[in-house]
Amino acid sequence: MSRNKLGVIGAALTLAAGVLSGCSGGEAVDVGDGGGSTGGAGGVLNAAIGGEPDQLDPHKTSAYYSFQVLENVYDTLVEPDADLKMVPSLATKWTTSADQLTWTFTLRDGAKFSDGSPLTSEDVVYSYERIIKQKLNTAYKFATVKSVTGPDPATVVVTLTAPTPNLLANLGGFKGVAIVEKSNVESGKVKTAPVGSGPFKVAGYTSGDSIKLVRNDTYWGDKPKLDGVTFTFVKDPTVALQNLRSGQVQWTDNLPPQQVTSLRDGDDPVVKTAPSTDYWYVALNEARKPFDNPEVRRAIGYALDREAITKAAKFGLATVNQAAIPRDSAFFYDYAPFSHDPAKAKQMLGQAGVGNLTMDLMVTSEYPETVTAAQVIAAQLKDVGITVKIRTLDFAQWLDEQAKGNFDGFMLGWLGNVDPDEFYYAQHHSGGTFNFHKYANPAVDKLLDAARTETDQAARKQAYDQAAKQIVDDASYLYLYNPDVVQGWSKKVSGYDVRSDRAIRFRTVALGK
Amino acid sequence: MSGASESTRRRVLDALRRDPLAVGGTLVLLLLVVVGVAGPWLAPSGVNDVDVDAMLRPPSGAHPFGTDELGRDVLSRVLVAARVSLQVGVVSVGIALVAGVTLGLFAGYYRGWLDSVLMRCMDVLFAFPVLLLAVAIVAVLGPGLLTAMVAIGVVYTPIFARITRAGVLAVREQVFVRAAVSIGASDLRIMRRHVLPNIAAPLIVQTSLSLAFAILSEAALSFLGLGIQPPAPAWGRMLFDGRGFVTDAWWLGVFPGAAIFLTVLAFNLVGDALRDVLDPRQLTLSEARRSTA
Amino acid sequence: MTRFVLRRVLQSAVVLLGVTLVVFLLLQLVPGDPVRVALGTRFDPQTYEALRARAGLDQPLPVQYASYLGHALTGDLGVSFRTGQPVSRIVLDRLPATLSLALTAVVFALLVAFPLGIVAAVRSGSAVDHAARVFSQFGVSVPDFWMGIMGIILFAGVLGWLPPSGYVALTEDPGRWASHVALPAVTVGLVTASILTRFIRSSVLEVLSADYVRTAEAKGLRNRVVILRHVLRNALIPVVTVVAVQLASLLGGVIVIEVLFAWPGIGRLTFDAVQARDYPVLQGAVLLVAALFLLVNLLVDILYARLDPRITVK
Repeated sequence: MSRNKLGVIGAALTLAAGVLSGCSGGEAVDVGDGGGSTGGAGGVLNAAIGGEPDQLDPHKTSAYYSFQVLENVYDTLVEPDADLKMVPSLATKWTTSADQLTWTFTLRDGAKFSDGSPLTSEDVVYSYERIIKQKLNTAYKFATVKSVTGPDPATVVVTLTAPTPNLLANLGGFKGVAIVEKSNVESGKVKTAPVGSGPFKVAGYTSGDSIKLVRNDTYWGDKPKLDGVTFTFVKDPTVALQNLRSGQVQWTDNLPPQQVTSLRDGDDPVVKTAPSTDYWYVALNEARKPFDNPEVRRAIGYALDREAITKAAKFGLATVNQAAIPRDSAFFYDYAPFSHDPAKAKQMLGQAGVGNLTMDLMVTSEYPETVTAAQVIAAQLKDVGITVKIRTLDFAQWLDEQAKGNFDGFMLGWLGNVDPDEFYYAQHHSGGTFNFHKYANPAVDKLLDAARTETDQAARKQAYDQAAKQIVDDASYLYLYNPDVVQGWSKKVSGYDVRSDRAIRFRTVALGK
Repeated sequence: MSGASESTRRRVLDALRRDPLAVGGTLVLLLLVVVGVAGPWLAPSGVNDVDVDAMLRPPSGAHPFGTDELGRDVLSRVLVAARVSLQVGVVSVGIALVAGVTLGLFAGYYRGWLDSVLMRCMDVLFAFPVLLLAVAIVAVLGPGLLTAMVAIGVVYTPIFARITRAGVLAVREQVFVRAAVSIGASDLRIMRRHVLPNIAAPLIVQTSLSLAFAILSEAALSFLGLGIQPPAPAWGRMLFDGRGFVTDAWWLGVFPGAAIFLTVLAFNLVGDALRDVLDPRQLTLSEARRSTA
Repeated sequence: MTRFVLRRVLQSAVVLLGVTLVVFLLLQLVPGDPVRVALGTRFDPQTYEALRARAGLDQPLPVQYASYLGHALTGDLGVSFRTGQPVSRIVLDRLPATLSLALTAVVFALLVAFPLGIVAAVRSGSAVDHAARVFSQFGVSVPDFWMGIMGIILFAGVLGWLPPSGYVALTEDPGRWASHVALPAVTVGLVTASILTRFIRSSVLEVLSADYVRTAEAKGLRNRVVILRHVLRNALIPVVTVVAVQLASLLGGVIVIEVLFAWPGIGRLTFDAVQARDYPVLQGAVLLVAALFLLVNLLVDILYARLDPRITVK
């Protein structure tokens, strides 16, 4: 089913630079073993997150709430740094064979799980094989992986069926590909009491209320300054803000959007935003008339006022974009053919012979911004003579209807994509696993296939630019905006910053008095 | 019988007229019906006239109740939503009334095993707190206007069944019913002509009070996002959508809530006045359940 | 007396059996495949098969019900579709939060309703009586969640005296527990108080007009003594029932308030289970609440029978 669809901060987290560093082979940055332990009085940081993890098994959960916690509990072979460049984590260095089909990773000396048992190549092999064999959420990231072996405890060898320029991002983009402990998984405890090798370990879980983490003293890196982190589930953003102001929590990403602009100007709490790698869009069902006609889809593109939609859905905390890839990415392609022009839209619809159109627009209560935006979209399409019937479903039903193709149109987003393949292939290739709106253009298929294994970055970028232009021109998706990541924390918190991949890392954070 | 009900009617009207609270309640209800019917014409602007440049404006001449998070006129939405509340109230209580009275009549009239089975079923439904059962039913059937009405209807069925059955048991042994049986009148005819009119009083009272609870229950379901779905306006849903903004935009919290409160209050006042006249000794079972709405 | 108790226990058992049937049928009424729907994004064939088998969905209906009932009797309510944890533990974990909120609300309600109801009855027609009637009418008509929102705006927003929501366990920090429980408990408590006030008032009024009270007055006993010695004792017997019924319904019925105030009790659990389509948890929560409700009612009836000997075996 839906793998890195929403809710998973999934997908390849790498930029061109990251890919290159991996391909050139053996760029070894040995971070070495961490410094001495800092004692006692670091304090406990209270973090308010917007909901409760469904479970804490990193390979099985798909909820962002889970990954907020797990980011601080687990490690991956490599991990994205602040610029989303892949850097060493459990693997200190790696080499690539000349044919690009064999990758050899050297594991960190002295890495341990928080229960004290050593982390070896056996654990890496177990983790990857678990994902692949059980077809878990991130199995698609291993699509080109032929085998994973551990010739000795400190070495992992990954062999591939085809060159995979973004392998490092696949193996380390987020904690959904974390290295887990076999005994913890097999006892079933991983769901609520996972054991990882990261800076903190789970010390308590009160269902409906909070998860307590304490410092992991066996952590291989610099010992965290905090004694612990408590994640409290606070659904209501107004409440989260009030808790932050009153000092009950020191960090939250659940702030009332309409207040963020004014909060950003203040200095306590500190509120920061950063452009994310997510995008939100409307898709029209090309298996149904009249949406099979690209002119009709384009006409709708002209009927939409993206500024207004963005303002309503995100209170300006987003950047309008008519293509998928955000401005900060190396793969950004600046292309915006649509203007908000209801008259033109009406005229195009008339020429296509479409009058009195009623359109079923599917949205989900799981992501309230789709419900909000849909009401704005409905008002805008009314101006060009299209009656929109909004259908709000819970996400499970929504996915079902999507898979069956029971919709005229829907609105949704994709979170955490960085590699362009993740932005386009599954959605717009005629054989793509998420091409539920039945878009098919042989030219786009060809471009996407070729770009997938292209190791020359300039050529790769060019192929994706061409594909993007065609996708936008065909109005396969009507892209709307790239939202910002918004987080706020108390002035007492130091050593923290917003990351565009939404990973929340408390390992370097300190809490002042 | 018609003479008796004529005098009852006059007695009720007289009593209601003398009770200022009941008069007030009745006036609010009349106003509500007018708004329910003519809401879309009374509303100064369309319920879905989105204007994002005018979002979250405080009350002013142009927007007496302010605007919501999409720049829509709150007054218009409050007015148009009256119809939804009334509709849910009437339909769900209608379901409860028809189902409850039918079950209660059969149970009380035939007694024996049918009575035991039916009333144990009602006991079972009665064992669930009102909103919990409604939420569970909506969870199973999926959120929406229709399921909300069905859920609320099911939840309030047992009380009508119990009241009806108690009434039937009392009436059943009276002379005129026995007489009708002895001249060979059919059971259905006896129930319709002789039993039902004599248990009407408590049913009327319960209907009025149930309308109040049903509207409260619908508001609660909508507040949980389980009632009518956007963009259609409903008071509870407006509070749900606006709850993230109430500390900045109090008007989003105050007006839809006040509308619910006034409506429920009106039904309660009229219901209480009716009870004082028609059925002063009726058990306050319903009161005991109210808080869960 | 013993026969009465036995009969009531048996009756409750029959109703409880019916409750389990309703709860069991909830899952069957879900359109489509409940496990498939619940898994949604997290679908994988292994989990799917395991959950279906665990929920017994591959068996014929009567067998399923028998096994559900059998397991329920041993305290096994299945496992959560969402987390795979045992439902009974999930539900019991939430009980303390709900209990502490319900008890606080009822205590608050009693503190308000007793003086108000008694004075309103004794001084029938006075200003206090009118105030009591307005109050009780207000309480039964106001949506509790609206009152909660108003409370948050006022006490957490404008005045900043209380936290807007959240939960601290009583055992962890009684002071912070109290500050968190205050708003939700008062919100719920006011509604309960309005119902109790009305009931206490009418109950006291009824006893005041009874013959023995008139006799006592005729014998020249002073008003206060009459009230304390005779009236209250007799008036309170029916009040006990209503208080208990209120408490029972608060134990499972304050979904909206628990959601509004982020109070991790049974109501919130129910709501979350609905949203996640976690049917076993929904079933477990509903079953527990209904069972508690029945148990409280049973105890009240027995207690009532002891307090008032007129009610024994009829």
